Amino acid sequence: MKIMKLAMFELLRRPKKNLVIASSIVIAVALLTSLSIVSNSANLAIMEIIAKTGHTLTVRPSASSAGSSGEEQKQEYKLTTSEVVLGSYIPEAAVPEIMKNYEKAIKAGWEKKGGLVSTPGIPDIVLEPATWAPRLFEKAEVDGQEVIVTGIEIRKEYFVRFWWNLTSGDWPAETDVRDVNTNIASIFTIGSDGKVGIDKAEYGVDSSGKLIAAQDKKVKAAPLKPILKGWDDAYLGGAYAKSKGLKLGDKLTINKTEFTVRGILEETNSADDYMVYIPMSTAQRLFHKEGLVSMVSVRAMCPNCPVGDAMVELNKNVTGITAVSQLDVAGVQFDFFSMLYKFLLAVVISTIAVGIFSIFNIVTGSLYARIREIGMLKAIGASRFQLFRIFIYEHFILGLAAGIGGYVLGLGMAYVLNSLLDIGAVILITTAFLWRALALGIVCSLVAIIYPAYKLSKLKITETFRTQWES
Amino acid sequence: MSEFIETKGLKKIYHVGGQKVEALKGVDLEIAKGDFVVFMGHSGSGKTTLVSTIGGLTRPTEGTVLIEGNDIWKLNDKQLSHFRNRKIGFMFQSFSLLPTLNVLNNVVMPAIFSTNSERKDTEALKSKAISLLTDLDMKRKVNSFPSELSGGEQRRVAIARALINDPEIILADEPTGELDIRTEREVIDIFCQINKTYQKTLIVVSHSLTWLEKAKTIIVMKDGLIFKDLADPVEAIMEGVCKS
Ligand SMILES: Nc1ncnc2c1ncn2[C@@H]1O[C@H](COP(=O)(O)OP(=O)(O)O)[C@@H](O)[C@H]1O
Ligand SMILES: [Mg+2]
Repeated sequence: MKIMKLAMFELLRRPKKNLVIASSIVIAVALLTSLSIVSNSANLAIMEIIAKTGHTLTVRPSASSAGSSGEEQKQEYKLTTSEVVLGSYIPEAAVPEIMKNYEKAIKAGWEKKGGLVSTPGIPDIVLEPATWAPRLFEKAEVDGQEVIVTGIEIRKEYFVRFWWNLTSGDWPAETDVRDVNTNIASIFTIGSDGKVGIDKAEYGVDSSGKLIAAQDKKVKAAPLKPILKGWDDAYLGGAYAKSKGLKLGDKLTINKTEFTVRGILEETNSADDYMVYIPMSTAQRLFHKEGLVSMVSVRAMCPNCPVGDAMVELNKNVTGITAVSQLDVAGVQFDFFSMLYKFLLAVVISTIAVGIFSIFNIVTGSLYARIREIGMLKAIGASRFQLFRIFIYEHFILGLAAGIGGYVLGLGMAYVLNSLLDIGAVILITTAFLWRALALGIVCSLVAIIYPAYKLSKLKITETFRTQWES
Repeated sequence: MSEFIETKGLKKIYHVGGQKVEALKGVDLEIAKGDFVVFMGHSGSGKTTLVSTIGGLTRPTEGTVLIEGNDIWKLNDKQLSHFRNRKIGFMFQSFSLLPTLNVLNNVVMPAIFSTNSERKDTEALKSKAISLLTDLDMKRKVNSFPSELSGGEQRRVAIARALINDPEIILADEPTGELDIRTEREVIDIFCQINKTYQKTLIVVSHSLTWLEKAKTIIVMKDGLIFKDLADPVEAIMEGVCKS
């Protein structure tokens, strides 16, 4: 027999009371464990998105521009770069101005940092021009079902979204008509019957097959197919293709026009996965939004680009648009999470406080029920410190067990919380959470016992006789 | 030369809700080594208080308790615990057995708190406990739990527990309380054995007259003092008892 063993026996002596104590600790530990797991996982998910998408600026029609309903505006503050803005547009013609302002702001930002000041003998830093990609979102009937169809300039798009990969198919070649030049694309129309036509009166090809304006007189009749090569290509988000069972080369009808699947995207766990992509020029004809785009993504081409500065400048100088920096969006998300975290933490801490208080009461009650036994232990030679150790050991074991229980429950709750709050983070579990749970369990258990244990270990033995007469 | 156990001017005042209760009013007492003392007296006369003051359980308000010449109430908590652990075997009614431990573990328990390392030799300790329990005719019940034992058997286990650390003094406060006459006699016989064979000094508090037959010394207490000038202690006890 050792003091530890005695403590264990003592613990088993009051199974119900100890179970009550343990379960309140379990709840507190579980709450805190699940909360820290979820918030940690959510933060990691945010960091991962930023790491993956780089520092991208998203330019969208500003809230005041016509056609946007409040509900659609709400969707703006989402972290991914794939959020959909329906019903409000930026003229394509505004893009050069946007890019000019952007470049200017970036340059100014660098100069402010002292990065672009020319010093004789030292080569100037050359800023690569930023790349940009427009999108046009439209709800459309795809094979009889309403889907978000997104017009993209394919090569620009996958350059900006460098994390995109195809699981099957391939990207258009650099020379493909469908993507390179919007001027070329503007020669065709899509009728309300879905048929494609070309404005032969104004456009044609020269002897080398290059497209020219009709005013040049040397126009030959233009064969439709080669000019519009790739106009009916469709690329599918991974999740969409999977759900519809669509494969490479399959046909699909958008509104009344037929498209062919040329590529299927790898899933990225974003809204991108559920979209159907068609060439921008085709989308503009199909939806009668010639010269308009829904948003422009700008990918900064320098590490530590002063994108924040560019955002401020754009919002100040270009009317009708709102520029949002990826990091800002992430910041909003961070704020949201940290607010939620703080709120839940407050709930948990008050739970723990109430828990400790009730444990304290139970413990005090049960210890006073043990007064005679304490007298006996003292009489047979237990010193104050040895008595104190019995109580501490008992509650150490109790706290440890409750900590383990709370950890296991907390793991489960983390998954529930994650789906309940719609955080959608991949739950990441490290041993640090286990140690923390155990420490918390033990501390809760010990905090509740230390004072009564101290008081009782100092109890005079004579006083323990007294209770005998009273009981 | 001082006696084995000696008290000088022992006073104990309890404070109960602003009121003073003088349980001991200056007790001078000497007990020789190997004595078998039985304290008698009316309830509330201060027997328990006196005995627990001698055993290092209740601190006196005034006076000294000398054991082999040492004032035990000058010891600190650790030393006093050690004193109780090694010098004294207690048998108090309120010091019941622990219900979660079996007989063997209950007997061995004082050794847990021994600071002496030889006491931690669990095998030797176990065999000692078993031999004590065998002497007390309790060998069959070594693995039983207190709730499975009769009142007399529980007392035997408590005796074994009191003896496990080989103390020189056994203090027993009403060790046969609530027992029937036959069982009481058995327990008293055991005490006689302990006094004879183990040469322990026994100090027993009891209301029961059965003890008188076996005791070497009888001390009667009244109102916190020892009744000294007494020709016949039995008469002193009987005094006030309803006679026909
Ligand atoms: N812990 C205590 N607190 C207050 N009064 C006590 C306490 N212990 C004993 N007393 C009082 O001291 C007196 C002597 O008690 P006690 O020593 O138990 O006598 P006995 O054992 O002879 O019955 C009684 O009046 C009792 O009420
Ligand atoms: Mg008494």
